[in-house]
Amino acid sequence: MVTATTKGLSRAHEVYADRGRRMRELRKAGKKIIGYICLYPPIEIITAMGMVPFRIFGDMSEPITAADQVSTTVVCPFLRSIIDLGIKGKFDFLDGAVGAHTCDIGMTTIIAWRDYIKDAPFTHLIDVPHTDHAPAVDYFEGQINFFKKHIEELAGEKLSEDKLKKACELHNKQRKLVRELYDLRKSDPPKLTSMENLEVMVSLFSLPVEEGNELLEEVIKDVKERNIKPGKKKARLMVWGPVFDNTSLYELIESAGADVVVDDTCVGTRAFWADVKAPYNLHALAQRYLVDIKCPRTYRDTQHQETERNYDKDLDSRFNYIKKAVADWHVNGVILQSVKYCDTHGYEVPNLRHYLDTLGIPSIYIEHDYSERSLAPIKTRVEAFVETLD
Amino acid sequence: MENATPALFFAGIDIGSTMSKAVVVDAQGTLRGYVVGPTGAEHRRRANKVMEDVLLKAEVTLDQVAYIISTGYGRVNVPFADKQVTELTCHAKGVASLFPEVRTAIDIGGQDAKVLKIKNGRLTDFLTNDKCAAGTGRFLEVAAETLGLGLNEMGQISLQSDTPVKINSLCTIFAQQEIISRLSEGQPLTDILAGVYIAVTTRVVKLARQLKVEPPVVFTGGVAKNSGMVKAMEIVLGIPVLVPEEPLITGALGAAILARDEAFKLVQDGDYKMHKKQLSEAYIEFTEKGR
Repeated sequence: MVTATTKGLSRAHEVYADRGRRMRELRKAGKKIIGYICLYPPIEIITAMGMVPFRIFGDMSEPITAADQVSTTVVCPFLRSIIDLGIKGKFDFLDGAVGAHTCDIGMTTIIAWRDYIKDAPFTHLIDVPHTDHAPAVDYFEGQINFFKKHIEELAGEKLSEDKLKKACELHNKQRKLVRELYDLRKSDPPKLTSMENLEVMVSLFSLPVEEGNELLEEVIKDVKERNIKPGKKKARLMVWGPVFDNTSLYELIESAGADVVVDDTCVGTRAFWADVKAPYNLHALAQRYLVDIKCPRTYRDTQHQETERNYDKDLDSRFNYIKKAVADWHVNGVILQSVKYCDTHGYEVPNLRHYLDTLGIPSIYIEHDYSERSLAPIKTRVEAFVETLD
Repeated sequence: MENATPALFFAGIDIGSTMSKAVVVDAQGTLRGYVVGPTGAEHRRRANKVMEDVLLKAEVTLDQVAYIISTGYGRVNVPFADKQVTELTCHAKGVASLFPEVRTAIDIGGQDAKVLKIKNGRLTDFLTNDKCAAGTGRFLEVAAETLGLGLNEMGQISLQSDTPVKINSLCTIFAQQEIISRLSEGQPLTDILAGVYIAVTTRVVKLARQLKVEPPVVFTGGVAKNSGMVKAMEIVLGIPVLVPEEPLITGALGAAILARDEAFKLVQDGDYKMHKKQLSEAYIEFTEKGR
């Protein structure tokens, strides 16, 4: 095995810049690499089977050219970018691609993969129900079991309870370390920039869990020792929305004179906030993924259990985790970002903005087409938003 | 005591997509001179030129200008500016300096449109349309070209109509085709023109309604100079709108007033080196007058 020569944040920077490099090394050494799309495939099972889970992202700096032959331009440009990269052979290190029916385009991406991408011969789509109801959790457990059987065939061996438990513990440890890292941005000024944080997050999706944990420990140690002098007080922002796997947006916001101190995206808190609870069985996985991950793709019943409709209480039951983050990280503004055509997030925007209004937290909504070039017109709006927070 | 006021001035430069504007104000925030000219391709040269011109207009020399803020789409191309501020903040400031009660400002420029919500003189929320020519000055230019009319002439003619035709297309190019087919149907020019203004206004008001339109509403930007547009805006909104005497310069005016505020803040914090004595005197003078 090749050992990393760099450590901590410089290692993260390196992994971020070339996500496939470590995967290619591991594959050469005989490991099976299983790519997955979206947060919902239970990666604990992949780790427990002795394989390496690799989160598939697109590439905002690569223009979509090849995917035009297989999909129209009116669907999620993030998922189109994935298909585009796949057709161009950028995922040649993958043995498998696992998707989840988190949204409809997420599902069709796996069909496109089967039809047009020659790499990753093993494909599987996990059906994910759309509510957090108890029968849905049972159903989802069945779908996880079905996935488990499929991947056991690929591995040629059975998943043992013991290995699953160990994998759950390793991934839970990663989640705990990520939360510790996020704590280091509660200070003013934060000890870590949002660009650095994103590079670490993307690295965790590009390394085996043990190596990711080691990286996190190094980064936390380095960052804790940092001596950051207080400068001019800046706006402390939260970024909300679907997948954002590129530092460009954070650079844009920070260059407008604000610090991004926390996020609610699936390349940040959403991926790491919930643990798998003991006993580490398939039901616990179903609970963790379907109920505990807070993504607008899942319908949540109101918590107040009243027959009478109450808009404000309903908003609070959906978004109070955001209220908590706003308080804990001393957030004074929220940037809601979304990739174009994401109906899942789009329908959430007016509700969430209204909720933030009631908390007295200013917000702005920006939309991009998952390309670096589409960010330039957003710049003035972000700057003006930061100016209003002065 | 008027003669004792130190000759100290502040400038705002707004390099817009189509027009460049510059404003000079004194320590009281009173307008001392302004210029407006086309932006063209060379932003930097344009910035120098409007600055020179505005100094001449205001009868002020550059070393009497304590602080300069640049704004607008070309704000990064003003090498002599002390600070850059977005046009959204500057417009809000400029509009509020003319109409302190303003709650909603609608600005339609050559290539974009913005809606600002303002409270107590401060920008609180905004929306912009900068992706598409519909609902911008460009739409009117295309219509004028199609009909072979000047922009001002077009506004005047439209005022004669009480029955504007409906232009349904959201897209500038399709709307142009629609204008041509209305003409071939034999619809009167006055009604078509009135319809064009209603169409542009409807696009922008749609944007404004997302932020809730609260009166008083101020209408600015180059497009607000057009009488046909102002009439259409009042029809579509259903309430009267206020238009500044010179609706093009509110961004530059806001930038100049912000330049004064910024310089005074630096004096207060003890950070301002250049012109420090003069500026301090101006500041004291200003605060005493303010009281």
